[in-house]
Amino acid sequence: MPSSLPADATSFEFEGNAKEWFGIWIVNLLLSILTIGIYSAWAKVRTKKYFHNNTYVEGRNFDYHATGKQILIGRLIVVAVVIIFQMILTALPTLGLILIVALIFAYPWLIVRSIQFNARMTSFSNVRFGFTGTTGRAFLVFLLYPVLMVLTLYTTFPVLDRAVKRFSINNHKLGQARFTLNARLGAFYWALFVAIAWILAVLVIGIFTTGVSFAAFFGAIEAAENDPGAALGLIGLFYLMFFVAFLPAGFIYQALVRNEVYNTTTLEGGHRFASNVTAPTLLWIAVSNMVVVVCTLFLMLPWAQTRMARYLASHTGFIPGGSLDDFISDQQAKGSAIGDAYTDLESVDVGLPI
Amino acid sequence: MSGAPSLRGLRGHAYAAQTSHRQPARLLLSQAAAGTKVEIQSEEQAIIGAALLSEVKIDTPLGRAPRKLTLPDGSVFETDDHGGFDQLLGRQRGAALHDLEAFRPRLVTFVVFCIAAVWMLWRYGLDVIVAVAVVLTPPVLIEQIDKGSLQSLDFAMAEPSKLSSEEKEKAKRIYDNLLATLPAAEKKQHSFDLLFRDIPDMGPNAFALPGGTVVLTDAFVEMFPEQDVVAGVLGHEIGHVVEEHGLKRFYRSLGLYMLIAFLAGDPGPILEDIVLEGNLLLSLSYSRSQEMSADEFGLRLAAEAGFDPAGLAQFFSKVQELYGGREPAQWMSLHPSSSERVEAIEALIEAL
Repeated sequence: MPSSLPADATSFEFEGNAKEWFGIWIVNLLLSILTIGIYSAWAKVRTKKYFHNNTYVEGRNFDYHATGKQILIGRLIVVAVVIIFQMILTALPTLGLILIVALIFAYPWLIVRSIQFNARMTSFSNVRFGFTGTTGRAFLVFLLYPVLMVLTLYTTFPVLDRAVKRFSINNHKLGQARFTLNARLGAFYWALFVAIAWILAVLVIGIFTTGVSFAAFFGAIEAAENDPGAALGLIGLFYLMFFVAFLPAGFIYQALVRNEVYNTTTLEGGHRFASNVTAPTLLWIAVSNMVVVVCTLFLMLPWAQTRMARYLASHTGFIPGGSLDDFISDQQAKGSAIGDAYTDLESVDVGLPI
Repeated sequence: MSGAPSLRGLRGHAYAAQTSHRQPARLLLSQAAAGTKVEIQSEEQAIIGAALLSEVKIDTPLGRAPRKLTLPDGSVFETDDHGGFDQLLGRQRGAALHDLEAFRPRLVTFVVFCIAAVWMLWRYGLDVIVAVAVVLTPPVLIEQIDKGSLQSLDFAMAEPSKLSSEEKEKAKRIYDNLLATLPAAEKKQHSFDLLFRDIPDMGPNAFALPGGTVVLTDAFVEMFPEQDVVAGVLGHEIGHVVEEHGLKRFYRSLGLYMLIAFLAGDPGPILEDIVLEGNLLLSLSYSRSQEMSADEFGLRLAAEAGFDPAGLAQFFSKVQELYGGREPAQWMSLHPSSSERVEAIEALIEAL
């Protein structure tokens, strides 16, 4: 269902290119290696700045303001805490266990700090973003809801997913203007339904066309323990299922949810957003990127990254409700990079789906 | 070139302080008593902001992204005119880095260097990092790993051993004989407990945990009454413990993960999975080399303790007889194939 962006929307534009980004990327890599990893903090800043600076809406670009020093200090603090933690664990094992529990409760706090830091360090059109989410709310969204989801046998996954996106978007501000997400829960369930329907359709078509029955399949599993041929066949089947059924299903869900999130997000001042990515295109870009990157020993990674950024930007729209000149900065504590370094280390993805 | 700057100044856009208000503007430099002065003027020549050049923050150049200059009050001037910007303000901090990043033939040198360095890191650097991490790991934690693994094993698949106490005693004596030949310093490092469990799913098997706990399955003790075989296999497991294979494998895959995370950053969808899968295959190959190394250690230990080192080869020959032809392909296995191990062991015995 490839639909175009609404007529009154102007699309985001990504102006970076693979050649230029390759130069920056390889120098980042080179200097990170030469400085045994220390430069990677500055490399991170340069990477974020490159993608922010080259993303435009109506001729205005984004910017990233954190310094390498801030990122490095954040990382050093996190590493120091991990080492001290280890030492306590050695000397006083029981206290260590209490600390592990404490760390679980610190998790939402760190997530909030991380989003806050990243928001404050990002600007659009000379106005910084801000984040007002509370640790209490983050505790519900990132710790309690996942437990409830498991207890309901994952049937409430769309509820959790929407809660995470609401928490992220509703607490973001551009200057003093608030973002609001009005996504319908039904759309999240619909996305999940379509994704599952895809998997089932592939299964049915697969069984129908190849004539493989469930009995034969389970027979193969039995045989696999003794027969390497059958085991290899099973592994092959697993990969086939992954690429034909599960991976596309993942992209179907992502694409539908992304579109819903952007299409129902508003920014104070009457501004709206739009998104019209499609699962087949996303899948094609991701899979072909993967093949090219692997075949070139990762040297084409910069090309792949700019390609994806360009696609996402050109399928994201902004519908202005008035002048873009009227955003005013909000004074908010800057925060430190500790949360950011922690979420980096744990590779928690807390960003907006730009 | 000290002449008065052109009245027209450098064209670009300005943002008023703390707002998103954007307008076409010009940047002008002039000499004042206190030093060089920077002025941002609107098209109507109204002053948007002014400051001394020394107080101005100038962003380092990055690709073709707009050049940006921020005054202390927060007003901003930006322009796409890179040449004009450099001419007006001179060479800025970060210009050398920007030159380095330019897409030129010399980047090929960087690529070659990076590939070589990444390979070296993977081949040698990781081993150093792993060795340091192993030394830094608190013993309490390692003991905890043993306890935890045993608990989950007992919960999931293991039953208490049904062996007679004589059978256990016999294996224990061989085990103590082997331990007696270890250097005293090594013995202090680990607990070296020998445990027996009935684990039908594992068949005749033995395994070691990082803290030094060695487990024999009932099926193994029943199927291999020969002293030399038991000595060979226990020697092999002691090899795993002494050479810290469990911890090393853990740190190695963690180290590889960190290395990839720091160097590649966020590679994007699917690629992340590919990288992790590749990591897994690499760690399998690492595990196979550990098995070979433990075989060698076990052989020497068994021979020193007065057992026939051929016992281990006997064990693998029997395993091959039982499971021969049904082993998975090399690249997807944690262990080298039995026939390959028998060959390697025979070569080692020759060399002893």
